[in-house]
Order: sequence, then structure tokens, then C-alpha cells
Amino acid sequence: MPSLLPAVAEQLFRDIQKIYQETSQIPDDLLIALKFVFGPCALQALDLVDQHSVTCLSSPSGRKAFQVMGGSGRLYTCFLSCHYCPCPAFAYTVLRRNEGLLCKHILAAYLCQAMGVTQQESVSDQQMSMLLSGTTAP
Amino acid sequence: MTDVLTLVFRTFMSQTDLKTDLTASPPPQTTCSALVVGDHGVSSSVLLLAAVTAASQLGMKVMFFTQSQIQSLPASVQKCAPSLSPECLKKIKFSYPRTVEELLQQIASLHESTNTSPTPPSLIIVDRLESFLCGPGGGSHSGFHPGEQSCAAHLSALLCDTAAFLTQILEQRSTSSGPCRVIASFQSEVNTGQVSAEPSATDPILDVLDRYFQVRCTLDRDRGYEAAAAGLQQVWHIYLSGRGITDGSCTKDCEDRTGVAQEWQLMIFPNDLMEFKMV
Repeated sequence: MPSLLPAVAEQLFRDIQKIYQETSQIPDDLLIALKFVFGPCALQALDLVDQHSVTCLSSPSGRKAFQVMGGSGRLYTCFLSCHYCPCPAFAYTVLRRNEGLLCKHILAAYLCQAMGVTQQESVSDQQMSMLLSGTTAP
Repeated sequence: MTDVLTLVFRTFMSQTDLKTDLTASPPPQTTCSALVVGDHGVSSSVLLLAAVTAASQLGMKVMFFTQSQIQSLPASVQKCAPSLSPECLKKIKFSYPRTVEELLQQIASLHESTNTSPTPPSLIIVDRLESFLCGPGGGSHSGFHPGEQSCAAHLSALLCDTAAFLTQILEQRSTSSGPCRVIASFQSEVNTGQVSAEPSATDPILDVLDRYFQVRCTLDRDRGYEAAAAGLQQVWHIYLSGRGITDGSCTKDCEDRTGVAQEWQLMIFPNDLMEFKMV
């Protein structure tokens, strides 16, 4: 699968991963870079990371997906290999207006992966299918 | 998937053209998702040819999703592949979801063991995305349709993410059928050829689909007189474009670029026989 993020964003996540492993902190210069690349949703995503809002779900088949708890308490199921989130901001800012790369939920998932702070949870294969298809109410 | 589509075009070239094509190298297997855009009658036949070719020549297990039940292969496909064996057809599983919700559920469940045993699918085909995505009113795409765009994104992302997962399974099982590819067809309702349409009119659904599909295969009918003069029923131009084509050709040197042919012609004869020609 070709890269879905600009090279600068990928490098930023690699830098965050390296420095967080060493210091358990994200320095100011990387935070500024995050805001520069991703705009207003950067700070909102960092809030979600602080609240441990991102869970990696896995099922016996090996299928995985991310589940992110939004600010309102809603759960959003996002994919690993390409960008999609059922939230209104993704539909409007990313798809309709093409003004943002990601929504805060997808960005929070990337950050949690880089920082190694994603929660883990197991679900059954059938539950995974329902989550992926959006037939389960959040 | 351009390697499957290109194999279809090469397989059903005229015999005279095949002899001159022997030096072209096969396309790189770097792209995994292709969207066929154009008249749904022709694109459905192309997708069925892709399923049949993948199953018979590449031994792939194919999942074919479409709303309308297929009672028998269209005449055009039967003519192209007269020696199709029942064993080969068994590798193609047809599914007829009635709504986009059913389609999402069926694709979402492809990871379950009932679908990955004994072999996971290595080609997922969805025919006539517009029949699932566009509302019953159809018609104009003016105004804001966030629900339709979000639905198109969900379906496309699910297809791509499912293909990525099935590719991992195929690789773990060391099969030669990987990676898992996706081919879908879509007919846009925005007709940019109309005089009254804005010059920059675009289809918001197609814009979303282009985010997820790496290759676009555009079918464009030739409206000239040569086709009728040559006794052909229809002539179509086929253009392959998108980041999947560009990336592939950029990494190869000049001599190898002919392996990724970007333009083809499809001729449909009065007896429904389809023949492809490299341009």
C-alpha cells in the first residue's frame, strides 16, 4: 500500500516514537511541528491521547481495528491501513472540504501507536465484523 | 488491480496483436485497487472477464459482489472464454447484497474463517458501486451530501483494509496468489460533456473513491464513424491513470515502461465478441 501520509508527517511520527521511547515526553519543537502539519486537530488529538482514548481491537482471525473514544463519549471505529473515521469532522473537513489530512481520532490513533500507549482489547470475530461494518451502535 | 486488468486486456487481444506484444514485460505487482469508471454495461463485462481470467489463469479465489443476480455469464464473456471449466467457475463466489449496509456487512466478515478457509480470496470485485452508494433519487449531485460521501469512504476504506488483511493471510500461508486485490466499477452521474454543466463539474462521490483506489480505469466510448465503417458494434478507449500507474512507471527505466501500457482499445463486434488492443 503506498504511503497515505506526506513524508513530513511520517518522519514526524518516527521522531516522536524515538524521543518518547527515550524520554517519555514529546518536546516542544515536535509539538509545534505536529500543529503545523495537522492544524487545529493536533491539540485535540493530544488530549485524546492523554485520556487513553485509543484502543486496538483484535479478534481471533487476526483482524484488527482502532476504536477511539471521542470527546462526547462516542466510540469511533477507524481502520489501520487507510484513513477513515465515521465522525462528522472527517466527513466535512477531510472529504468534503479537503482542508485537513485527518480528523483528531485518526491522528490520536497514529500518536498512540508512535508512543506505544494504545490500549489492547479482544473481541470475537463476529463482533469485529459488526464494528467494521458500522452495524454496532457506539 | 492493474495486473489482473492488464492480464484481461492481453488475454483477449486479437491473435495478430499478440505476436507483436511478446517483448513487453509484465506490469509490476505494486498496485492493489482499481476503479473502472464508465458505462456500467461495459464495465460489468470487464469485471466478469477479470473474475473469470483471475480464476482460470491465476488460480485465484474471487469474491464478486453485485446487486443484480447473474443467472448466466453474458454472451460477451462466454464468447471470450468458451472453454471455461466448472472447476474454474467454482473459484468465483457470487454474492448479491441488496443494500450498502448488507454489502458492508459481507465485506466486513471476509476475515472470518468461513471465508478464509481453505483459501482466502485474493480478488474482491464490487460491480456498480453507484447502485449501492447513490440514493434512490439519484440525479443531481449539487448541494451537500455528506452522508453519501462518508458512506463511499467507509465502503472504499473497508475494501482496502480488508484486502490488506487478506494479503497478510496469503503471505503467512506462503501462497502465490497474494497480494489481495480489489476491482470495483462506478458510473458517474455527473456528465461533464453537457453544454449546461460547469466546466469544472466533478462528482463528489468519485472524488472520494479516488482517495482510496490507486488506479482509475476509464472507459470512454468512441463516437467517431470509423467504428461503424469497420463493422464494429462499439469501440471504447480504455485509459489507466492514477498514483498506482505513476508510481509503477517512475521506478522503472525507459525500456520497461512499455510493460505498463496506459491506453488500450476495446472493440465489441456485432456478435458480442470483445477484443482488446494496446494503443
